[in-house]
Amino acid sequence: MVEGAGRAKAWICGVLLAVCSMQSAFAEASRPDRAGFAASLCGDGAAQSKALDEFVRLSGEAAIDDLAVAGDLLRGMLERRFLCLGDATLLLDKAGASEGRDVASGTVHTAAGGRSPVLGLRQRALVETASGIAALVAGETVELRSKGLAAVERRMAGVPEAVLVRAHKTESDAGLKAAIGVAAQGAALSSTDPARRLAAIGAVADTPSGAAFSRLSALKTDQAYRADAEFRAALDAGVARVERAIWIGNGLAVLYNGLSFASILFMAAAGLAIIFGLMGVINLAQGEFIMVGAYAAYGVQEVFRRFAPGFLDLYLLAAIPVAFLAAALVGIVIEALILRHLYRRPLMSLLATWAVSLFLINLVRVVFGSQNLQFAMPSYVSGGMPLYADFIVTWNRLFAIAFATATLVLTLLILKRTPLGLDIRAVTQNRDMAACLGIRTRRVDRLAFGFGSGLAGLAGVALCPIYSVNPGMGTTFIVDSFMVVVLGGVGTVIGTLVAALGIGGANVLIEPLYGAVAAKVIVLAGIILFLQRRPEGLFAVRRRR
Amino acid sequence: MKGAVETVPMRAPRRLVPALADDPLLAAVIGLVLAAALALVLLQPAPYLVNMAGQLAAFAILAVSLDLVWGYLGILSLGHGLFFAIGGYVCAMHLLSHAYAVTGVAPDLMQFMGWKSLPLYWWGLTSAPYALGLALALAAAIAFVFGFASFRSRVNGVYFSIISQALVYVAMLLMFRNDTGLGGNNGMTGFPLLFGHPIGAPGVVTGLAVATLVTLALVLAGTRALVVGRIGRRMLACRDDEARLRTLGYSTTRLKLGIWCLSATIAALAGILYVPQVGIINPRVLSPDLSVEIAVWVAIGGMGRLAGAVIGAVAVNALKFWLSAAMPEAWPFILSGLVLVVVLGLPNGLLDLATLRPKPTWLRRDGRLG
Repeated sequence: MVEGAGRAKAWICGVLLAVCSMQSAFAEASRPDRAGFAASLCGDGAAQSKALDEFVRLSGEAAIDDLAVAGDLLRGMLERRFLCLGDATLLLDKAGASEGRDVASGTVHTAAGGRSPVLGLRQRALVETASGIAALVAGETVELRSKGLAAVERRMAGVPEAVLVRAHKTESDAGLKAAIGVAAQGAALSSTDPARRLAAIGAVADTPSGAAFSRLSALKTDQAYRADAEFRAALDAGVARVERAIWIGNGLAVLYNGLSFASILFMAAAGLAIIFGLMGVINLAQGEFIMVGAYAAYGVQEVFRRFAPGFLDLYLLAAIPVAFLAAALVGIVIEALILRHLYRRPLMSLLATWAVSLFLINLVRVVFGSQNLQFAMPSYVSGGMPLYADFIVTWNRLFAIAFATATLVLTLLILKRTPLGLDIRAVTQNRDMAACLGIRTRRVDRLAFGFGSGLAGLAGVALCPIYSVNPGMGTTFIVDSFMVVVLGGVGTVIGTLVAALGIGGANVLIEPLYGAVAAKVIVLAGIILFLQRRPEGLFAVRRRR
Repeated sequence: MKGAVETVPMRAPRRLVPALADDPLLAAVIGLVLAAALALVLLQPAPYLVNMAGQLAAFAILAVSLDLVWGYLGILSLGHGLFFAIGGYVCAMHLLSHAYAVTGVAPDLMQFMGWKSLPLYWWGLTSAPYALGLALALAAAIAFVFGFASFRSRVNGVYFSIISQALVYVAMLLMFRNDTGLGGNNGMTGFPLLFGHPIGAPGVVTGLAVATLVTLALVLAGTRALVVGRIGRRMLACRDDEARLRTLGYSTTRLKLGIWCLSATIAALAGILYVPQVGIINPRVLSPDLSVEIAVWVAIGGMGRLAGAVIGAVAVNALKFWLSAAMPEAWPFILSGLVLVVVLGLPNGLLDLATLRPKPTWLRRDGRLG
């Protein structure tokens, strides 16, 4: 097998060799002697350094296959698979193997009597860099090449620009290509050629990020900054541009986080607002319905893991209806067993739902334990897309926002376009009149309670890629979602939406300035003040009670 | 004794003794409380029993303060833990600065915060009367600001409950921070002295418990006098139909605000008495759950009756002391079950068991209360 692979590699090398020799006569002329290179690696420190320096200097122009072979040698050296045996050099398949191939002839030799060349500190660094260069340019997999880039970046000063330019040109993987571009820019920034440096400053400022900022501001200590007016002007302009872009990018990120927080709040509060508008019951267990939704998502994940591991990525989508139904079912059961008896005593229903929440939290704690649940993150909710400066559109938050938007549309459709929605609005506006007209208000109550609970369950699915899931998770959101209901007004979905956006936005806007606690204090004070003007909330439904 | 719940008497008795004679249950409770205080002095039981009696009495005072606004005024506060904590925190500050002044040993808090001396807002707290006044005034002031904003804009019912819950929640977040200078997450603990005596000494423990019990008796007598008087009649009227009372020309805002501030002050008093007995105060006192629990005590004991609040607080907490040691896993389930049973089956709490009148008719007729 190994023999076969070796032969195949040799064949590929041969083909590459032919291609390269056709391409460039220059490469032909400057081709280092492989056997000589290997031999000098067996020499003393000075000989090793000379050979390695030479290799690094020429690596920008060297043929691919030469780099590949040299890369093999150097990696072998670092892994102690490279042996010197008199004049010959051997490369073993693995450290400590009894025989290996002769580097010059390719024949198999016994390793007996061979020694690994000793590397000094400087030589080891050189070998690492050289091996990195070889891997970066000639590595066969993306992983090898990105390891090579990491090695090269550690000692950027000694690496010729041509290496990075070349690697950037030939790289096929987009992410790695960008990384190489950044590294090349960095190298250009410390170039000795002023024109190149100016161009590099412009290029770095074109792709602003926190890293670009620190890289540019580091240049202010460069002596050229004091000596060269043109350089100074270019650098100052570049830094200013990057700063502005970072500021905008951070602003966008804050808004984005606020939007995703508001989305979760909206989903938690929409059900609350509908239920409150309809029955005057504040459901203190709404947070626990969120938890039920999240745990249902976990259950779906476990089922997928057991029965359809190939489709594990889809569990989050499959969990959407399951979580809705699970939370709705719990809600309907609670309504039928408990709340039905308490509609005329709203304050007692407050205590009853608190008892339910206490019960659910502890039930889940006993059954599942109180640790955070581990979720497998499907590909569509992990990672993100860099949009501008340091602002990354993360998929998990986008998922929550899209989810909330879909929920909003669905809720509005159900309330405005279905018979159940008509009933709910009628009972909300005037319960007695609706009952007189033959609407079965008790049934409407039950269905609406189930619907509202189901919405909380959906919130649970939306937040499990973002927040940690544990029995006490509901309490984190519950006070905020109450405030959303109070601010938005009773029984209006639009009011809930506006209030969720307002409270979510205010929280994340104030947070970076004064801290999370101050944000909550200010938001609460703002709500109390707002209620002075409009005790009914932003959008109150006209109704009789 | 007509129903289990206080109803508006035709003519309000003006004096305390007839007021108590009207409610034999409350008179019995007050008698029991005083008897317990006497027993602690005479029988000298084990210190942990004495301590427990003192803590239960402090909780009972807290429950009475909530019953005053919920049972008699229809305002359910889910943030009464805030006023309790204000009393507790100021008391802890007094104990620490007092000990610092007497012994000269800097409290842990100062070392933790890296203070050379106590900051300005601790000034004067070595004096017990000033600390007492400050705690009560602070609780009343905060209650006034919050109550004024809420009652003026006619925020009531469930709205008021959840905003008061948000208030205590925000206060908890605030106190969890270290830079408030009140111990942050750890709170304040390790009080060595009370009025110059070692706080763990049997005499001090008994003294504290007796003081708390006597305070409870005084609070009960005082609130009873209040609720049977003219103001009390207005309170019940406001609870049953606020709009009508307002139409009749009474300022319900002023009435509610006054009682609300009084209730906050009583809660702060409970906090003051509670902290030296448990020896610690931390932000967990401000957790919204604890504030709901106060309402649970009142509901279980029987809201709208002062005796009910005491019975509920003592029964639930005694059960909690016992069960959270015996089977901590089961306690939340028992508590939630208890709440559901009471809420669904016994609208007036345990007092219903005594009168065996399951559902008084006013509950069905009038949706406002409950």
